[in-house]
Amino acid sequence: MQETENVTLKSTIMSPAEFDRALRRIAHEVIERNKGAGDVALVGIHTRGVPLAERLADLIERFEGTRPPVGKLDITLYRDDLTEISLQPVVKRTEVDFDVHGAKIVLVDDVLYTGRTARAALDAVVDMGRPAAIQFAVMVDRGHRELPIRADYVGKNVPTSRSEIVHVLLQEIDGTDGVELWERHG
Amino acid sequence: MIGAAAQVPPPPTPPAAAARRHRHLLDFTDWTAEEVVSLLDTAEVMAQVLARPVKRVPALQGYTVATLFFEDSTRTRLSFERAARAQSADVISFAAGGSSLRKGESIRDTLRTIEQLQADLYVVRHPSAGVPHQLARWTNGAVVNAGDGRHAHPTQALLDAYTLRAALTAAGLPPAERERPFTGRRLAVVGDVEHSRVARSNAELFTLLGGEVVLCGPAALLPRELSRLPGVHLTADLREAVTGADAVMALRIQHERLGPKRLPSLAEYVARYQVRPAHLELAAPHAFVMHPGPLNRDVEVASELADGERSLVERQVASGVPVRMAVLYSLLVGKK
Amino acid sequence: MRLVLRGGRLLDGAGDRGVHDLYVRDGVIEGLDLGGAVDQEVDAEGRLVTPAFLDLHVHLRDPGQEVKEDLASGLAAAAAGGYGTVVSMANTDPVVDDPGIVADLVARAARVAGARLRPAAAISKGLRGEELTDMAALRAAGAVMVTDDGVPVADSRLFRSACEYAAELGLVVQTHSEEPSLRDGGVMHEGAVSQRLGLPGNPDAAEAVMIFRDGEVARLTGARVHLAHVSSRRGLEVATWLKASGAPVTVEVTPQHLTLTDESLAGFDPVYKVAPPLRTADDVAALRAALAGGAVDSIGTDHAPHTLAEKQQDMLSAPFGIANLEVAFPLLYTRLVAAGELPLERLLWLLQDGPARVMGWPAPRLDPGAPADVTVLDLETERAVEGARFRSKAKHTPWEGEPLKGWPVATLVAGRAVHLAG
Repeated sequence: MQETENVTLKSTIMSPAEFDRALRRIAHEVIERNKGAGDVALVGIHTRGVPLAERLADLIERFEGTRPPVGKLDITLYRDDLTEISLQPVVKRTEVDFDVHGAKIVLVDDVLYTGRTARAALDAVVDMGRPAAIQFAVMVDRGHRELPIRADYVGKNVPTSRSEIVHVLLQEIDGTDGVELWERHG
Repeated sequence: MIGAAAQVPPPPTPPAAAARRHRHLLDFTDWTAEEVVSLLDTAEVMAQVLARPVKRVPALQGYTVATLFFEDSTRTRLSFERAARAQSADVISFAAGGSSLRKGESIRDTLRTIEQLQADLYVVRHPSAGVPHQLARWTNGAVVNAGDGRHAHPTQALLDAYTLRAALTAAGLPPAERERPFTGRRLAVVGDVEHSRVARSNAELFTLLGGEVVLCGPAALLPRELSRLPGVHLTADLREAVTGADAVMALRIQHERLGPKRLPSLAEYVARYQVRPAHLELAAPHAFVMHPGPLNRDVEVASELADGERSLVERQVASGVPVRMAVLYSLLVGKK
Repeated sequence: MRLVLRGGRLLDGAGDRGVHDLYVRDGVIEGLDLGGAVDQEVDAEGRLVTPAFLDLHVHLRDPGQEVKEDLASGLAAAAAGGYGTVVSMANTDPVVDDPGIVADLVARAARVAGARLRPAAAISKGLRGEELTDMAALRAAGAVMVTDDGVPVADSRLFRSACEYAAELGLVVQTHSEEPSLRDGGVMHEGAVSQRLGLPGNPDAAEAVMIFRDGEVARLTGARVHLAHVSSRRGLEVATWLKASGAPVTVEVTPQHLTLTDESLAGFDPVYKVAPPLRTADDVAALRAALAGGAVDSIGTDHAPHTLAEKQQDMLSAPFGIANLEVAFPLLYTRLVAAGELPLERLLWLLQDGPARVMGWPAPRLDPGAPADVTVLDLETERAVEGARFRSKAKHTPWEGEPLKGWPVATLVAGRAVHLAG
């Protein structure tokens, strides 16, 4: 049922090595900013934010000795465009097994674009409890914000045009790591 | 190798979406097993929402749901209204006896009056079969059948399937096949089958999901031609019906409504058709007891079974709201 | 007043008379190809000219239910359907159980441009099934038949007495043969479909049992009993056996029972709700197969109009009845004759000579001196059914949009063109 869009590859923005370096830097930044990993919890936004969150958790464990809990968040029920889309989004399970109250939540996603997904994620987290803080980590910030949202941790800033697609590749899903830029035609 | 492009095109936008095939939920005609299982999976997510401190999501913000209950049922109506409000939809209620639902008024005229309020979806219960189907022909909105005469009660069947699927999984017997979760399973439905929309909808749904259904009751209340439906058997013998069953569902008997010409005394009915612990011994070792509610104590089911650990009755009740949330979500979300 | 129907093919129960100009003068048939001045010409070229049909079973709802139909709309609808004479049923409000009401109907109908009206009167006062009506007085006022149609006569003693009186007076007794307690509130045929849909069913046993009762009483009393709207294979079998064993019964079948089955109700549309109900494909096949032989004596429409609002109630509340005067002939012509299942002559017989025979009336003919009740039929042009154009007040029909042939383009009653299409 997947539509094949007419797309072509323009360039590779991050190689696997660059990707790896960026992820390590983010992990260090999270630890530094939060003065350790003590009350930090990571929440990956379905779909690609989830493996990214797991990897960040592994890296934080390697650097600090403790692995922060990782939750998975489906934001479908919080989207603001549900009256306009013509296809029906499948709703996936949210798994946040730790107590949100008083935690320092770091939301994790692959790309930050308009900010609407991040806003939905904020609403979802807040409905689960009252965290001490919510921070936001993304691999790529591609600009074109429609809401006053910013990421605290960014792998790479990539200015893009609206006809372009930023594709974050993950070993777990695509077999390799990296970031590519594709052009949409027609 | 550094810098090698994966040449994997990005996933299409929007992700993991399905074309919405159904405008209404009237019965399960034309529904596929896959579509039903998606509803059940969505209901699981909705159950999670209801377990949180804030039992609400904004998914149906801006939508209006109207409940039209030409036949009284506070429980079912409140369940639907809760399902709508938990997703931030607005709710308008019309109940029998209110000035808007007058007896003898053509239902089309009633609909015309109500349509002024521009609801996106109507939840309809009526003592006559077919009213939701008639309304669906006349309205631009969506229609959910909350029980039409003896014909169908699809959300009841969905919550029964949801409850049973979860109970079997919890008992260490998860479905072998996602799309047909009741393959190899047998459901016995006992009671006044002729007058029961719960029996008809469960027979339709359980077999759609791969299972076998045995309908059991006194011959005068067991419509012969239902045996023509695929996967459905009839018997007047309760012991035969429950043998090997994975679940036994007892139906409400309405003795006052049936009268002495249709049914001999209630005592005779209870002696022959009440589900008792001895019957469960003939059923599968894990067999569950179900009832659409409200239960007539010690009539349809012996008290000890109704309250016992094999009883799914409370879980059935609890699953009503998440299942109805999933139905409302699935029918409404999309281009307004 | 002199009128000519030009160039049509003349066909009646006596045979095919070929293509001729048919002259009508002062309400009777004058002759063929006579020539001379006429006051009105009707073009019948390429069409069939045949005696106007007889319908022994219509509900005109007048007096008392004029919102559904009245004499003006009903008799105009009949003419538009090619009918020259209709027998109206007595289940109006008030019931036609009093000679004054009969006389009033006869007088008012005479002033209406449409088919002739021959009223039926009730068997029992108020259709309550308790007291006999004054049949002699009713006959004197103009009633040609007695019937409680709409309601079965439950009490067999009453039915026997009614038959004895009717036999003495030469009145036909028309019966609505359904045993009430077996019918038990059923809204559709009891079978696989009703059980699947969860709608209360009316088994064919209810019809068979009552037909047997009605036929035995006919045999006992010698009354001419006309079994209205026989709907099932079983009912027809019982009626046929009764005839063979000497009971003076005749059988009527309706257009809906010849063309629709209980599956029509799967969409829960009360436009298909009728009594007796639409039955299975096997029942329809049995009725159709019987048309060519002698088992069926007439086709009657059982035209039963209701308002749109009434037919848009739920399946349990909506009244029973299908309105069909204007589509009956095109429907049967298209589905039976044009489809090669029944000869045209036989269909016409069931609408002309058959009903006349049931009533003991002269067979309708196109001979000089015969009443000028004639209809002109277009057997070629195919046109979709359009309820909005009906003369009947009931514009909603099960056959809306169906392409049919055989539309009546003109109908004369007593030499006057009461229907002229286009």
